[in-house]
Amino acid sequence: MPDQDTQDPEPQELLRVEGVVKHYPGVVALGGVSLDVRAGEIHALLGENGAGKSTLIGVLSGITQPTSGQVFVDGAPVQLRRPRDAQDLGITTIHQELSLAPDLTVLQNIFLGRELRRGPFGRGLLDERAMSNRVQDVIADFGLTERDLRRPVGEFGALTQHVVEIVKALAFDARLVILDEPTSGLAEEERVALFDHMRRLRERGISIVWVTHRLDELYGLADRITVLRDGRTVARTDTDESTPEDLVRLMVGRKATSLGAVAEDRTAAERPAGPAGSPVEVLRLENVSRRPVLHDVSLTISSGEILGIAGVAGAGRTELARVILGADRIDGGQISVDGKPVRIRHPRDAYRLGIAMVPEERKTLGILADFPLDKNTTVSRLGKVARLGMMLDRRRERAVTRDYIDELGVRTSSASERIRNLSGGNQQKIVIARCLFTGPRLIIFDEPTQGIDVAAKAEVYRLIHRFVAGGGAALVISSEIPELLHVSDRILVMREGAIAGEVRPDLRGDDLEADERASAEIMSLAARSVA
Amino acid sequence: MTLLTTSPAASPETSPTPPAARRGPADLLREVVRRPSAGVVGLLVLICAVMAFLAPSFLTYGNWYNLAQQMVFVALLAIGMTIVLITGGIDLSVGSVLGLSAGVMAYLVNQGMMFGLCLLLAVGTGAGLGLINGLVITKLGIPDFVATLAMLGVASGLLFLWTGGVPFTGFMIPVYDTLGGVTPLAGDLTAPILAMVAIAVIAAFMMRRTSFGRHAYGVGSNREAARLSGVDVARVRIAAYVISGTLAACAGVLLAGRTTAVAPTIGVGYEIQAIAAAVIGGAALAGGRGRILGAVLGALTLTVASNVINLAAVSPTWQSVVVGVILLVAVGLDRASTHLSRRLGGPAPSP
Repeated sequence: MPDQDTQDPEPQELLRVEGVVKHYPGVVALGGVSLDVRAGEIHALLGENGAGKSTLIGVLSGITQPTSGQVFVDGAPVQLRRPRDAQDLGITTIHQELSLAPDLTVLQNIFLGRELRRGPFGRGLLDERAMSNRVQDVIADFGLTERDLRRPVGEFGALTQHVVEIVKALAFDARLVILDEPTSGLAEEERVALFDHMRRLRERGISIVWVTHRLDELYGLADRITVLRDGRTVARTDTDESTPEDLVRLMVGRKATSLGAVAEDRTAAERPAGPAGSPVEVLRLENVSRRPVLHDVSLTISSGEILGIAGVAGAGRTELARVILGADRIDGGQISVDGKPVRIRHPRDAYRLGIAMVPEERKTLGILADFPLDKNTTVSRLGKVARLGMMLDRRRERAVTRDYIDELGVRTSSASERIRNLSGGNQQKIVIARCLFTGPRLIIFDEPTQGIDVAAKAEVYRLIHRFVAGGGAALVISSEIPELLHVSDRILVMREGAIAGEVRPDLRGDDLEADERASAEIMSLAARSVA
Repeated sequence: MTLLTTSPAASPETSPTPPAARRGPADLLREVVRRPSAGVVGLLVLICAVMAFLAPSFLTYGNWYNLAQQMVFVALLAIGMTIVLITGGIDLSVGSVLGLSAGVMAYLVNQGMMFGLCLLLAVGTGAGLGLINGLVITKLGIPDFVATLAMLGVASGLLFLWTGGVPFTGFMIPVYDTLGGVTPLAGDLTAPILAMVAIAVIAAFMMRRTSFGRHAYGVGSNREAARLSGVDVARVRIAAYVISGTLAACAGVLLAGRTTAVAPTIGVGYEIQAIAAAVIGGAALAGGRGRILGAVLGALTLTVASNVINLAAVSPTWQSVVVGVILLVAVGLDRASTHLSRRLGGPAPSP
């Protein structure tokens, strides 16, 4: 599907990007990107990590200056030298890490830096009433109340914070809203609510550029799609005219696997019938509680097993992971490792017992952003690269890291590269390498594929499978039910801090109906009595 | 791993040449400029060049020997401060811990206790106060700024109560003359200079090549991520305060030997100089950044500055103004060099 610009004069063009190039020293981030967005459409921007989506968003929001190329708004060439220039043209970007001040109220956040003022002394007083009037008709549409305006933003969840960002955009007459992976931190039902908000924005005639990794979200919502690969626009298409398989192929640039193919892997090559020897119980939880977030959780995981944990946001999934790792204390119940009761007071205790974790929120909790790859890889068990029990052997650190780079397929220039310069999927592989380096029996994966692209996801699944095939045990927490169905042997569904039930996916992986039944079962267990 | 396409944009790798083999002069310049202490080195060279013209006595051996003697105290404090700053903390109590430890030393020597034991107890006092700082901060969850500010008040108050406002004197037994640097050890080499060099080398090794050092940088750059990776964050932070307290006590013992009296005000103002030296040397108040060599160079810069004030016959009351200006200039140069290194081209700037 090369550029197929329908020369339809009807839909009015709002934004056009032509041949934008961005060079960083030694790296071509954008090698000629074009994009056109019509008034009042939802335009999805797809691409792997490293395809240039973030750089393009930087250009459109006035943060990044392109090396060459031109941006047009309403057909006229514009210069976006600073974020204010973009805002003045009605372009608002809602970044993945929301830029709200948690201690300020919703209203204060909306008008931060652009407060309405009144009174003497050069209009030196804040005009609270004018500000709240200005957003009055908007907030009702998006489910906020007058009282919510006076509450600190930090009291709300991720969805409402997105809504605040949207209201903020509308208060200043935004015409184009750029949403950078808005659903990555949201639970299933919040996602659906956000999609409603996006439709509402479209009804108001506002255009949306929507960056996402999840192909299943596009259909029924996005009007058109632009696909980037390696810093170039490789396709522009109407959503109805392309299948998910087409899109994956365009993103990856060759005939690639979809999730279905990953499932085939699970059953075929990557999962041998079972590890050598019979499964042994690795971890057992009996009536573990941490009030008020966890109540009487009991479970077991054996070697060679992948246990999935499903549930809506706030059901206690991450809290469960944190008590197993010792990041939070339990106030009741018993944890046993290898059949022996243990007390895990600190993550260090967990690592000693052979438990490691790939945390959620890779950027803030996973990586040590200032460290190069090798220091990220070894930090959990420096003793293994120390001589005489204390002197760190830098050469060995780099050597083991290079081994992991090869083995896990990390794309980087060297082991001494700073991890922050890598794409999300490659960062996640290094976090997994850090866990593997500790020689664990059990790895907890908390949202392991959050915000990484399709190809990297498939690789993460393979790494998990390979780990358990070698006799390890894995606990996988995920908000994406298809992911859990594909990767897990058993799935425990959590609800309000307790285990609501267990679902066994069909391990043959080729039975779509069985997957749908399992999926429906999980959702009903997760949702019962919540709504 | 067959799924990834090799994008020409993101993988300039595959060259089997190790990085070291490809170094050109531009790389070297980049490396020098990117070092966190680039600012302080530039500033030092600048001051020295100017002074070499203005005051002939500046570049003499005698003057630099004196500088080395004078810088020991700030250098030791700055080393401890740098370690605390790297872990993301701050220690405002170093000046008063220095004072109280010096008081313990002077008092015990006067009591006729065995010298080695006096030394042990004085340094132990500093370590103990540092331990209290660390425990209060990590176990009670009191912010570092508040906890060490409280310790500043308590320790300096105790010294004042104890001395009754009258300095401890008369403790300068011969062995203390040697330890305090009044009598050189061999040739011109004195115990304080030797101690400073030894401690700096050990600390630099510790921060660069041991687990503690690595964990300290990790804790300072992202405390929660470090914790989830199995780093015992509390222990690392406590250790940093213990080290800072211990080094403050060492500085106190040496300073008492140099001044031959312990006045209740002996440590006043040292915390500012220690923080200034650490920051001039490239430590970041936000944590995760800092070098031991930088701290020593920072201490040297401050000492040179006060030396310049003396040689120029300017009133010593100007000193704190000069310290403030130097702080701004050094950090400003540091920022400029960061910009320069970006221009010269490094990895793509991260957002």
